[in-house]
Parts: sequence; structure tokens; C-alpha cells
Amino acid sequence: MIEARNLCKYYGQHRAVDNISFTIEEGQIVGFLGPNGAGKTTTIRVLTCYQPATSGWARIAGHDVLTESLAVRAVVGYMPENVPLYPEMRVREYLRFRGKLRGMDRSTREAAIARAVQRCWLADVIDRPIGQLSKGYRQRVGLADALLHNPKVLILDEPTIGLDPAQIRETRTLIRELAQDHTVMLSSHILPEVEATCQRIIIIHQGRLVASGSPEELRERISGESKLIAEIKGPAADIAAEVRRLPGVSDVRSEPVDGWTHLSIAAATDIREELARLAGHKGWPLRELRREIATLEDFFVKIVSGAREAGHPSGGPGEPPRRPGKAAGKGPDEVRG
Amino acid sequence: MRNIAAIMQRELLSLFCSPIAYVVIAGFWLVTGVLAWVTDSFEPGQPATLRNVFMWTPLVLTIIIPAISMRSIAEEYRAGTIETLMTAPVSDAQVVLGKYLASYAFYVLMIAGTVVYLVLMEVFGNPDWRAALAAYLGLLLVGLSFTAFGILASSLTHNQIVAWILGAVPLLLLAWFAFFVVGRVEGFWREAFQQINVMGRFSEFARGQVGLGAVIFFLTTAALFLFLAVKVLESRRWR
Repeated sequence: MIEARNLCKYYGQHRAVDNISFTIEEGQIVGFLGPNGAGKTTTIRVLTCYQPATSGWARIAGHDVLTESLAVRAVVGYMPENVPLYPEMRVREYLRFRGKLRGMDRSTREAAIARAVQRCWLADVIDRPIGQLSKGYRQRVGLADALLHNPKVLILDEPTIGLDPAQIRETRTLIRELAQDHTVMLSSHILPEVEATCQRIIIIHQGRLVASGSPEELRERISGESKLIAEIKGPAADIAAEVRRLPGVSDVRSEPVDGWTHLSIAAATDIREELARLAGHKGWPLRELRREIATLEDFFVKIVSGAREAGHPSGGPGEPPRRPGKAAGKGPDEVRG
Repeated sequence: MRNIAAIMQRELLSLFCSPIAYVVIAGFWLVTGVLAWVTDSFEPGQPATLRNVFMWTPLVLTIIIPAISMRSIAEEYRAGTIETLMTAPVSDAQVVLGKYLASYAFYVLMIAGTVVYLVLMEVFGNPDWRAALAAYLGLLLVGLSFTAFGILASSLTHNQIVAWILGAVPLLLLAWFAFFVVGRVEGFWREAFQQINVMGRFSEFARGQVGLGAVIFFLTTAALFLFLAVKVLESRRWR
């Protein structure tokens, strides 16, 4: 439904989007995740025909965003970041105006407005000027506008920013409902947000695509990185040496904690059983043994901070960094969920 | 066509929701009223004509018209609504035309208000309706050109005041400068200033003549300014 290949966008010398390729299948909810300034909005603006890419191409529902821009705009419902609206218009007037721009005749338009208003809980404010509405209501007006023409593709830029927790939950529920008959792409810089709503996550950082997959896949990718925490009493040097000898252990850090040795162990597999047996065998008391599963949050933070330190985004653990030049030829496989 | 109408309608709604529209319209009527008074157009014994009022009107319009059109595109940039507008299935030309027609419709309404002077003259005297008609045709044509320039100015900035200045200053220069300079230079420059002398071109209409050259001048400049405005709007995408 949405296809992007090698998109690049420069603002003068600044590279906002650097060789991004992805494919989004029909009916998916895809989260576009990245820290502020990662290039999410720029990518979205290319997809919604607001700005052309410097190079690369994108297609929505089979139409090229540059050459068949009007056809793309007709099938896309777009809610920009911060939801720009005309404050002097009433909600109904605004939705009518947008309906007319979408080429709807009077009866379809009124039916569409009624449906959108009901879906976005706008009935209470339909005749109020937009300028008087709270942030939450404005957000809903923007969403109602994006939904008005029942678009195949919904693109929402930071849909829950500035909402209170109850409104965030309502919006998420609505987005999940919408995915039943729309393809939804939403951007966010908040991971739990994306994790809660999306079937697929595309993480971008510094204009590059750094990881992509379902939340489960991403989590799986990092589960190998899980840490074991253990506290054992005994000669510290021996303990570290013995543990290091266990299969799959790559790194052991130990520190003394009131007479005990606190170990944090990086291992490829779950070695709790072996570790317990080792402690029993040696006669070392064992008072704690747990596996710390890395969260997507850790993953996200790691990607973002790692890229920042190295000055080069890596694909995360288990995936070597991909050079854009090489990725060009096999764009789709790289990111298909 | 429907898109243009929708944009025009929305634009008019916004115009009438803002105080600027009322200030502008009141200002224009006030100034034309003062003009009618200082030119002694209603004195007993004077010919029943508004020629002297019409003569000076384009100068007033150089300031008034950019004030009508200044918000049209600049405000879209400022509020960010340009993003929803330009991602709706409408072309850049439709956006510009819709906004242009709205500003022009407002202008026509404003001009129509001055017909009241003619009606008064009809009550107290015997005005030359043919000449008045020519003058109104002239005003409509001047409006086409000036409004297009105002829209172009508005497309260049996201600040309404800057848009107003960008619109008013060049128009003022065209109207005042060309008008005063044209008699003081010779040869090529005289030719050149005669071509762009808006006041001179308009004065034909004020005297009751409809010159084809003047009609073409106002229509082509309007088309040129609108074309440039569309190009400016398009170029925004590439920045």
C-alpha cells in the first residue's frame, strides 16, 4: 500500500532523510518511531505530497507521490503534527470545507461528516469555533478531517502529542479500530505508544532506517542480549572465573555487595540452571538468580544512544550496520515485516 | 472549479471573521468620502461627476488592496494550515485562484459601496452615467491587477504585515512614481514609464473612455502576477 525506495531529503546541506526504504502492506498499523528530529515528519511530508524528496521515490496505492500527486492525495487522509486548523471556523464549517475540497457532493459530504463526528466524539462541539476548542478536541477535529473521505491510507503525525492520558487511550482505541479498514501509519517519539498500537515498528534515527519489524520480532532480536543477575557468596575471583567458563557466557561483571558477590552475566542462552548447579556443586550459597529481559525501550535507547556515540547508526544487536549503498539493491527485504 | 469555489468561500468567511476586513472597508469609504469633499464634487454649481474622486482612487487602492489580500496565503503559512491545504487534492493554481477570487469579491463589494455617491448625485443632479460606468469598469480592472499583486506579495511571506508592505510599496511606486516622473523625463524612460503608468492608464477610464490598451494592460499584469504567485507557492515545496 505504501512503498518508499531510497528516499533522501536535504534541506540545504542538512540531510533530514537519508536513504530510507520500506514497504507497508494493506491493513497494517505501522509505527514510525524515532527521537525528535529523526526525520519522521520529513518522510511523512514526502509521502503526503507536501514536499518532494531530493531523490528516491515513493508510491501510495500504486500512485507515485511526485507524478500522480493528486491521485495520492485523494486516497490519503493526513493529520499533520500539531494539527493546523482555521481558528475562526466552526467545526462543521471546517469539515464541510474539507469535504468540498475532496470533491464530495452535498449528501455524501453530510453523511461523511456525521460519520466522522460520531467516530471522533465531536458531537458536543460541532457548532463551536475551532479557536475555542481544547487541544484534545482540536486533535479530534484533525482526525475527523483525515477520516472524512474514508481514505485507504491514514497518515498521522504524532497523533497523541499533547493529549491527557485518558484522551491518549481513547485515541489509541480509535486508531486500532480504524486499522480494520484502513492502512495506518503513525509517527511517534514515544515507544510505549507505538508498542501499544502498532503491528509493525519502523525505527529511524538521524534520517536513517535503523530497525524494522513487529514488536515481537524486535523483542526477540534483543532477547539474546538478556542479562542474568546472580548473587553468590564465596571467593570472588573463583566465582567470576568459574562462571566465565560456563557455555555461552560472553561477559561477567562482579562487584562485592555486603559480603556477597553480585554478578551480572551476559550470555547467549539462558544458563540459570547451569549456574545454580555450579553454585550447588561448589557449595557457594546462592541468594538471587534472575533473568533481566531487555525491553523494547532498552533497545530503542540503545540504538539511539549507540548511534549517537558512534556517529553511525547500527542496526541493533544481531544485525550488522547496513551501508546505504548496499541496501539500495535489496531495499524491500531489509525492512519487510 | 468546485475546489476553487470552496477555497474562495472559506477565504471570504475568514475575511469577514477578521477585523481587518471591516477596518479596510471603513477606511476606504472614509477616504473616498473625504476625496468627494475635498474635490468639491458635491458643491452646487459643479458638474455632477465623480471624475475627480475616481482620478485619485487608484492611489488609495495601492494601500487598501494589499491590506485585503495580505492574509490570504501568508496566514496559511503562519498557521501551518498550508500543509492540510496542499495535501488535499487541490492544485496550487486552484489555491491561488480561490484566494484571488475571494479577495477580488471583497474588493468589488467595497467598490460597490461608492455607488451611493452616484445615487446621491442622481437625486440632486444629473450625473453622466456613461462616464461613471467607464470609471467603474476601470476600477474593476485596476482591482484585478492590484489584487493579483497583493496575492503575490502574500505568497512570499508568512507575516501579514510584511505581505502588506511587499504589496503596497511597489504598487505605490508604480502609481505615484510613474505618474510624477513620466512628465519629467524624455526619450526611452518616458516611453517606459508611460507603459507602467497605472494612474495614466486609469485616467482614461475616469474621463469616460475605455481604451483597449489599458484593458489589456490590466488583464495581462493580473495574469502575470497570478502566474508568479502560483510559482512561488510551488517553489515553497522545494525548500
